[in-house]
Amino acid sequence: MELRGKVVRKPAGSGSKSARAAVVLVTDDAEYVLRRTGGNAFSDPELEALVGSNIRATGTLHGYTFLLQSWVRE
Amino acid sequence: MPVVDKLIVTNVAALKRKYGSKGYSRIKRAVTQLVAADKQRGVHTMFLALDSVSAMKKKHGVAVTDASGPRQYKEAIDAAHRTSTPDYLLILGATDVVPHQDLENPLYAPGDDDDKLAFSDLPYACEAAYSKRIADFRAPTRVVGRLPDKFADSDPSYLESLLATAAQFETAPRKSFDAYFGITAEVWKSSTALSLSNTFGSNLELQSVPPKDSRWPVGLLRSRMHFINCHGAPADPKFYGQRGGNFPVAHDAAYLASRIKPGTILSAECCYGAELYDPTLAEGQAGICNTYLGAGGYGVFASSTIAYGPSAGNAQADVICQFFLQRVLLGASLGRAALEARQQFVAESGTLDPTELKTLAQFHLLGDPAVHAVTIEQPALMATKAFRAAMPDREGAARAGRSLRRRQLAKAGLALEQTVGAARRVSETKPSKKVRGALERAARETGVRPKHWVSFTVDDQAPRCFAAQRSRDRVQPRSRWQSVRSECWPRRREKCAASAGSLRRTVQPCCARRSCSRPRFKRARSCN
Repeated sequence: MELRGKVVRKPAGSGSKSARAAVVLVTDDAEYVLRRTGGNAFSDPELEALVGSNIRATGTLHGYTFLLQSWVRE
Repeated sequence: MPVVDKLIVTNVAALKRKYGSKGYSRIKRAVTQLVAADKQRGVHTMFLALDSVSAMKKKHGVAVTDASGPRQYKEAIDAAHRTSTPDYLLILGATDVVPHQDLENPLYAPGDDDDKLAFSDLPYACEAAYSKRIADFRAPTRVVGRLPDKFADSDPSYLESLLATAAQFETAPRKSFDAYFGITAEVWKSSTALSLSNTFGSNLELQSVPPKDSRWPVGLLRSRMHFINCHGAPADPKFYGQRGGNFPVAHDAAYLASRIKPGTILSAECCYGAELYDPTLAEGQAGICNTYLGAGGYGVFASSTIAYGPSAGNAQADVICQFFLQRVLLGASLGRAALEARQQFVAESGTLDPTELKTLAQFHLLGDPAVHAVTIEQPALMATKAFRAAMPDREGAARAGRSLRRRQLAKAGLALEQTVGAARRVSETKPSKKVRGALERAARETGVRPKHWVSFTVDDQAPRCFAAQRSRDRVQPRSRWQSVRSECWPRRREKCAASAGSLRRTVQPCCARRSCSRPRFKRARSCN
């Protein structure tokens, strides 16, 4: 699956055991929490480096999480 | 009607789709071995294909036809349970064989709690009919567990091994479980320490991440009781610790696979700890729950979705996970421990708030519910020749004892429905300025920036029940004076009215009769 959008950092899971600043892909239709396949779900420097960029991402959607396999900055 | 102590339910067509006919035959052989092993232990086990029209007809139910329809599965399992009345219900297969129930998450708010649904086995443990509301399932009464294969798997070896573990389990003395393995994210250290003290009497062995990491020494992993309070994520074979913005890996399924001791029991508070995801989403690595079971672990009690719990003190996930292990340590079967944990969680809440509703729904048992890990010490009387002579049928005596316990648990569960309220989300109600102001101040103090406002009302039958009880008990225990007053008063009024101007009367009308057992008053009282 391919998605395009802007990568931002947003609070997620407030009040729950998943509370953190998540890296999120904001598309025209929805927002998805980003995670690299095999990467740290809560703190990933490679994803942090994408914050502020527009990307075209390839991966698998699992609920509200987009599991990134590859991406290209646009 | 043959005795059914344990009922194994599954969708045979779904298993055949995954494993083919040959693969399913291997699984069926493993099930037959489990049935035989149960029989040796005095437990009569029956296997039921929920998709078999003829088998379900005998249970006065309808065979499931849609592999992904939660309502059909709930209704089929309810019919089977009502007809067979087993002491244990074992769901065989992951959620692509028998699905979780699709309960609405009362806390759903995109960007905060992104779980639209709290996937759950809780409804299978309740008499209530199919519903998407968690509150409708606040009265669990059944002992239920799920033995999951791997999602979308095609090799039957994994499920065969789980069935073999269930067939070959052994109980061990309580002292075998004194040693525990407890991991916490450092930010939750205080809460986890309290949980361990409550459960094991000590928290000295608590491992905090950081500074520790997931490369645990084998000596620690060999403890048979594991309690974990860390972060988890969807389709993720790892749990994470936390210190500030640092989230090191705390537990890694890939590292654990060959290091977990058979017979281990895991109680994990982590988000998604019991998620049965497709391993292809994680480069072929199954989740931690699947890994524990695959290594011969007896059971995992964990959450299907985002969980809740405070950083200090105990609530929500902390509490229900503790209750489970405490019951196991007292000698309960894994399934009874899960049911008692649910019931205690509901009973102690009084009124289930939204986080408690989600907690109740999302935590469930993965493992054979009939497994007993801890040996129960029998009373000395039962070891005497006289007792054995009086109760020669040990199997029947055990069944009778279990049946009594189940009846008691059923009564306790049904009472919860009458006495415990639950929050219900309402969209039309907005908080008052005063309430909103107070909540905003509290949020600022704790560093939370609220994005969504959600209102709830409380549905509580208890006040109506108490009112009904009070109206039934109008004759309350009274003092003797009150009893007399209520019976003699009307007569006194008559006599006072008849003697106008006379204020003092000797009260004797009914009390003077020899047949009256009421005390006689020696002093006159006014008509007032």
